[in-house]
Amino acid sequence: MTFRSRRPIWKMFSSRLQSECIKTQAFVFKNWVMAKRNIFTLFEILFWPVVGFLSVGLLTEFAGLAPQMKAFILVGVVSMGSVQVCQLDVAYVLLYDVWSKAIKHGFIAPVGVRHLLLGSLVMGVVRGGTVLLILMGASQSFFGFNFLLPGSGPLLLFTLGLFLCAATIGMLVCILVLVFGNRADVAAWSLVSLMLLICGIYYPVTILPHWAIFAAQVIPLTYFLEYFRQFYGFPPVFSDPLIKGYALVLVYLFLEIVGMGLALRRAKRTGLLLKLSE
Amino acid sequence: MEYAVKVQNLKKTFISGWWRKRRVEVLRGVDLEVPKGAFWGVLGSNGAGKTTFLSILSNLLTPDEGEVRILGEDLRTGAKRLRERINLSSGHANFLWSMTVRDNLNYYAMLYGLPRKRRKEKVDELLHLFQLTDFAGVRFDELSTGSKQKLSLSKALLNDPELLLLDEPTVGLDPDVARRLREHIRSLHRDRGVTILMTTHNMKEAEALCERVALIHEGVVKACGSPQQLKKEFGLGDSVRLSFQGILPPSAFERLEGIYSYQVGDSICRLVVDDHHARLPQILDLLHRCRISVHDLQIQETDLEDVFIAATK
Repeated sequence: MTFRSRRPIWKMFSSRLQSECIKTQAFVFKNWVMAKRNIFTLFEILFWPVVGFLSVGLLTEFAGLAPQMKAFILVGVVSMGSVQVCQLDVAYVLLYDVWSKAIKHGFIAPVGVRHLLLGSLVMGVVRGGTVLLILMGASQSFFGFNFLLPGSGPLLLFTLGLFLCAATIGMLVCILVLVFGNRADVAAWSLVSLMLLICGIYYPVTILPHWAIFAAQVIPLTYFLEYFRQFYGFPPVFSDPLIKGYALVLVYLFLEIVGMGLALRRAKRTGLLLKLSE
Repeated sequence: MEYAVKVQNLKKTFISGWWRKRRVEVLRGVDLEVPKGAFWGVLGSNGAGKTTFLSILSNLLTPDEGEVRILGEDLRTGAKRLRERINLSSGHANFLWSMTVRDNLNYYAMLYGLPRKRRKEKVDELLHLFQLTDFAGVRFDELSTGSKQKLSLSKALLNDPELLLLDEPTVGLDPDVARRLREHIRSLHRDRGVTILMTTHNMKEAEALCERVALIHEGVVKACGSPQQLKKEFGLGDSVRLSFQGILPPSAFERLEGIYSYQVGDSICRLVVDDHHARLPQILDLLHRCRISVHDLQIQETDLEDVFIAATK
């Protein structure tokens, strides 16, 4: 009796889980196919991050910086390259549909924000991870900088933090697109550049004006960079950077999932969802 | 009777502009009841509110007021479940440009949670049904308009919808391609028993495909019924023009049934009848009894276009 009553529940759960995985996989598939067939996505991985990295790296050589200072800057550049590509993939999950005017088909189907976010993040991790590996290799071979120095544990925590930061940026782009329409797609490239100024990519946040330091404190990327740089001899400006970074990033992700749902409801009310498909 | 769509007092106004708000009242209280298994058309000119209406039914747009029940579920509370049971195909089909036909179908099948084996079977079945097998590997941006429309219809059948919403499915197609697509749509209804609600501004298409039509004008349903019923409702009949020889009394047709109006001249007589198939034998019989020989006979059937013009006057 017990066995008979349990089985359908298990089956239901298993079938539900399978359906959830397939729906998430759909967004991995979409981003993968689009990345495979569009040359600009290859440039995003190989060209821009590598060119940016090499020029900054060569600048540190020219400026004759001490190895410690060089490490500070290269950590920032490598992280930025990876975050930029990963967040693009999260944003692309909506932008590809907006650019092809096919957004309504996706939202007619029974999918939720969680599928979009998880699916696109998987692809973002693959592409962002590829950039990270390329730049890590390049930093070792061209500038003798060892990215693996902190060890696998801290590196893993740092990398995960970076990808979660990228997810929050990509989600923010999606929300902006659902609120302001396709003119907001520039946010996919400009938001990260704004962070470049505030989060201490090339310099410590302490040199920033007070208001900018406050802004840096509400951005999780600041804390992840602080955390990782301490292994290269830079004591963190803020206490418990890893905990603060993760706490902030998780709060933002939660708020953005809610926000995306609200933005979608608004887009359905104002008719923007239809306009984006015309 | 079970209804696939039951809409009461549906209203939608679009507000645009940040500074000076502009309000466009698109739907001003639409009422419509579509039974399960029916094939209905929603007719209207450009901007009449057809697409807005269909977009609300497909949960892409939230109404301001009114009650919408689809397949027995309230759209506001059951939207999540309903998305599994309905689908939409629209004219001017747009899909991800770099994806092939098969990729697109696979992707949307995944969105409906179809497992790998079922997905493959379903995609192959639809490719075959719409004769897209040869184009399975062609990117969307390289397809002809007709093939894009076929892909759009195929996508709409991935989840075996109980209610299929078609938004101007043959718009912009060559007459030949449009005719073949209409055949596909007709067979979908006939063979699968899907409830279809189709918008179009092509009156002939609606007359050929739909059992009943709703005429939307300025955001309200002006008339609803079968094409025959609507013609009757608006007193629009078939025109019959006769050339004759003989003396026909001016009041000759007064006692005949189904004659809306008539004009008798020296050798030409014009009649408007409810149905020429039913009335012509009586007319010819009467003329024969009056010893009048008919030289020429011309019949002009009223179509939905005339009904639409009459309804929207």
